[in-house]
Amino acid sequence: MKDLKTASFAQWAALAGRAALGLVFAWAGFLKAAAPAEEFAYAIETYRLFPAWMATLASLTVPWAEIYLGLLLAAGLFTRITAGLTGALIVFFQVLLAQAMVRGLPITSCGCFGTAKSNPIEVELGLNFILLALAFLAWSRGRDLLSLDGAIEALPSGGGEKEKP
Amino acid sequence: MRIPEIKDKRALYRKLAAAAALVFLATLGTLLARHMNLGPARPVPTFRDTGPADAPIVIEEFTDFACPACRHAYSGVKEIRKAYPDKVRVVFKHYPLTNIHPWSVEAAMRADCAGRQGKFEEYANLLFEFQRDWALEREPRKIFDEYVEKAGLDRTALDACLADPATERQVRGDMAEGDMRGINATPTFFVNGKRAVGLGQLVDKARPLMISLK
Repeated sequence: MKDLKTASFAQWAALAGRAALGLVFAWAGFLKAAAPAEEFAYAIETYRLFPAWMATLASLTVPWAEIYLGLLLAAGLFTRITAGLTGALIVFFQVLLAQAMVRGLPITSCGCFGTAKSNPIEVELGLNFILLALAFLAWSRGRDLLSLDGAIEALPSGGGEKEKP
Repeated sequence: MRIPEIKDKRALYRKLAAAAALVFLATLGTLLARHMNLGPARPVPTFRDTGPADAPIVIEEFTDFACPACRHAYSGVKEIRKAYPDKVRVVFKHYPLTNIHPWSVEAAMRADCAGRQGKFEEYANLLFEFQRDWALEREPRKIFDEYVEKAGLDRTALDACLADPATERQVRGDMAEGDMRGINATPTFFVNGKRAVGLGQLVDKARPLMISLK
């Protein structure tokens, strides 16, 4: 782990991006996991891409995945893996939003934050590009500063040879 | 290329242990939040949300139009609203017991459709007042239609509303919320978040709050 005093701007930006993206994901997941799954299932159904059973399955699993990925990312644990998976999930959301926009589907709520009021699809699409940029920052430099990855790797390996007197 | 996270086995085990602890705590926290109703409030249509938004007493009422105890409790809640118009907010939510009341979902949908025409309370009053006439009928739609006339509703608009999938979805959403909050009897109330089953418990829970406001 780098010394905070000598950290570069890029490293601070990556830390801020990692924390922001992680907390946004965890919060979005929490809002959905703490509400009836049917609400989110309905939001998924409005994209008209998946059968009802898949929407139900996704409504039961995606919020938890968001919570876990978000918290692991914010804590800087398995940073590159979680940042990569989070980025992949955002790309998937982008595909869903873009196809809805192209097909002109009457979607009033993207379902991103459960039943909370959502922005128009175009705005969500734009905001997701920002999140995608944060995911890239977190993937590239996110483990440099204040990450559990760095803290754990800096620990003595332990259990090895004892120091000779 | 080696992924940095797994170059050292001991560090990997430590990270896995930390991740497991984080996942466990996140799961526990979220499930506790669900159990304690700390999640986001599900929005209800404005016609089912009466009283001031900043009222110190908020009563959420999960009701089935075909349930006799709900009829009794509904009039009790009306009395409370009448006695404390500035202090009490009542949020009405549907919880039809579909296994014993086959027409409850449709009754709830019709009440919501009446609500879209600004007459939720009028239609709900009729459903409760004449509950015995329709709740056990095999085909009560004619009776429902009579209430449409009595409440002075626009029939065409009501039919269009009933055909709108969003109407049933709203009712099913209330039911899903009720399931999530562990409701298994009607009427169930939440008075400032505290559960009360039946009018007796509602009064017991609400009375100290009302006294403190005097």
